Amino acid sequence: MPNATFKSLATRHESVLVLVIVFEVILFTMLGRNFLTGPNVSNIFRHSVEIGLLALVMTPVILTGGIDLSVGSMIGLCAVGFGMLVNDYGVPPGVAAIAAMMIGALGGSLNAALITRLKLPPLIVTLGTFSLFRGLAEALTKGAGSYSAFPESFLALGNSNVAGLPVQLWIFFAVAAGVWLLVHRTTFGRSCRAIGFSPDGAHYAGIPVARNTSMAYILAGAIAGLAAVILVARIGEARANAGIGYELLAITAVVLGGTSIFGGVGGVTGTLLGYVALAILNNGLSRIVAFDLFGQPVTSMARELSGMLTGLLLLLALAAGVFTKSLVTRRARRQTPATNPSPTPPS
Amino acid sequence: MKPIRILAAAASALALTLTSACNRSGGGDADRLTIALLPKSKGNQYFVTCERGARAAANELGAELLFDGPTNTDPAKQNEIVENWISLGVDVIVAACENRDGISTALRKARQEGITVVTYDADAQADARSFFVNQATSEGIANALLDTTAELIGGEGEFAIISATLTAANQNEWIAAIRKRQAEKYPGLTLVDVKPCDDQKDKAQSETTNLLSAHPNLKAVVAICSPGVPGAAEAVKQAGKSGAVKVVGLGLPSENRAYVKEGVTQAVILWNVEDLGYLAVMAGAAVARGELAPGATEFDAGRLGTMQIVGDNVLLGTPFTFTAENIDDFDF
Repeated sequence: MPNATFKSLATRHESVLVLVIVFEVILFTMLGRNFLTGPNVSNIFRHSVEIGLLALVMTPVILTGGIDLSVGSMIGLCAVGFGMLVNDYGVPPGVAAIAAMMIGALGGSLNAALITRLKLPPLIVTLGTFSLFRGLAEALTKGAGSYSAFPESFLALGNSNVAGLPVQLWIFFAVAAGVWLLVHRTTFGRSCRAIGFSPDGAHYAGIPVARNTSMAYILAGAIAGLAAVILVARIGEARANAGIGYELLAITAVVLGGTSIFGGVGGVTGTLLGYVALAILNNGLSRIVAFDLFGQPVTSMARELSGMLTGLLLLLALAAGVFTKSLVTRRARRQTPATNPSPTPPS
Repeated sequence: MKPIRILAAAASALALTLTSACNRSGGGDADRLTIALLPKSKGNQYFVTCERGARAAANELGAELLFDGPTNTDPAKQNEIVENWISLGVDVIVAACENRDGISTALRKARQEGITVVTYDADAQADARSFFVNQATSEGIANALLDTTAELIGGEGEFAIISATLTAANQNEWIAAIRKRQAEKYPGLTLVDVKPCDDQKDKAQSETTNLLSAHPNLKAVVAICSPGVPGAAEAVKQAGKSGAVKVVGLGLPSENRAYVKEGVTQAVILWNVEDLGYLAVMAGAAVARGELAPGATEFDAGRLGTMQIVGDNVLLGTPFTFTAENIDDFDF
């Protein structure tokens, strides 16, 4: 019974998100200039795929009841590591990309070790590594340096299309499929939820809690490394402040997607929808040229508005979730006397 | 089903407020130029002033002006904005570049799509734009700052620099030029430290407070980014060292007026920022219309008259020093 309730909740939440996305598309097509055009649709995803990747791997982390605030800083560190390897040591970009993912995985294991071995709260641990990783990246470049000598073939990864879609979108599809399978079709995914519901319960049920929690953080680190490489390929420059603030956007996408911040409930489909809704919102506002708001064209305020509306969207989605839950419990309570022959006292 | 309906209602209410709060302004005219102006960062008064000049130029030209820029230091943001402008179909992009190499990738893409690109305030790579509207040469700025500082402290003693970020290309050029001028002309001066303030007044203030305690013999603070000047002045004022430690900086008169009048800040050096925005848009439009091409040595810039071009740099002229005597004559 509770399982069925949660399932219907999840599907209901996802259908709300689909509605939001459809609404956004209609709105921006009507009000915006060149919104539904090939180059712009490419832009929507090209500019946000790094956040999408972070949101994907943030999902299992949040399912375990944890959080990873360090992934944005990790992008900065991995970008600098990658740039250094290619520029200073002549390492081919392909090899350096793998190294960047390994740096990410290493950083993820540091998070994992502190969380599972020392039993420190994930929020505090990753708040620490949030500063640590960014600080390391700044120290490595002395705050001033940046790396920009990359071969054209590597920059194509961030700037060209394959079969009409940005190259990095195909990578995103592959990662999304992988993470979806991992979360929804493996024992690891199930165990993440179990850990999120009750770590002790999961432990007594024979789930390797420490190992599986660690895996979630290591995966998050490694994919942050991948996102860093994609970001560098797109902007043609690796510097310490790459990926600044991305962790919060990723968490927003996950929570907007219906995953409970307390863990245990949620899934990858919701995250994907949450991410798409945010990406469209961010791009669409910059298309509105012909309308003024507060005396300025909307396009001139796109960034501020997208911040405001992202927040509003998240709060609305959360409120809708709570509202649905209370509606379900109220309805269940109302139905109880009808199914139960013995009269219940009024509460 | 109910929550969906409620959310849909909320969403349509949102759309309604959005559309009703909107006023339709001029539509996309075919022969009307659409010019997009990119600042390094958006909330900065300096670029807001640039925009005012740019808007005046756009009005004279009958062009549509778009203005958008990053609200944080995310190095990908400027690229993202430029790429969105490309797919929006603008005719001219006028950009102040935060990250020279990074933004060049996007600007080159714009040029491939037939969009005219000029830079202002901070340049991109040379092949990513046709002209750079140069507000002042590095030497011009560095010399004005250091000469004023040297005069104020009698050509001798320690000074420190507050810069925007350690990464901004123009800031580093200015610091290099200041060092060069110091070595050549002022052997009595010592540059003790360079501290970045991330283009934030608060941070400039705390960095200056640290400098004052770390270097008790400090004679002057030179702030080379606009939020840095009032930040440094506030720190000097709170330390009770007004006048004893001189404050000189590159900044807007309006942001420094109070400190200049109190005698905390002695000199503010700047070019006419509004004219910079005006000139940049005029130059962009002229290139787009084929009136300005590489190799030109002069260019007729509307109300500014004829401007000089050196190589691919359109020059705005020499910097100006604002002091307690003249600062009230300027309103930007």
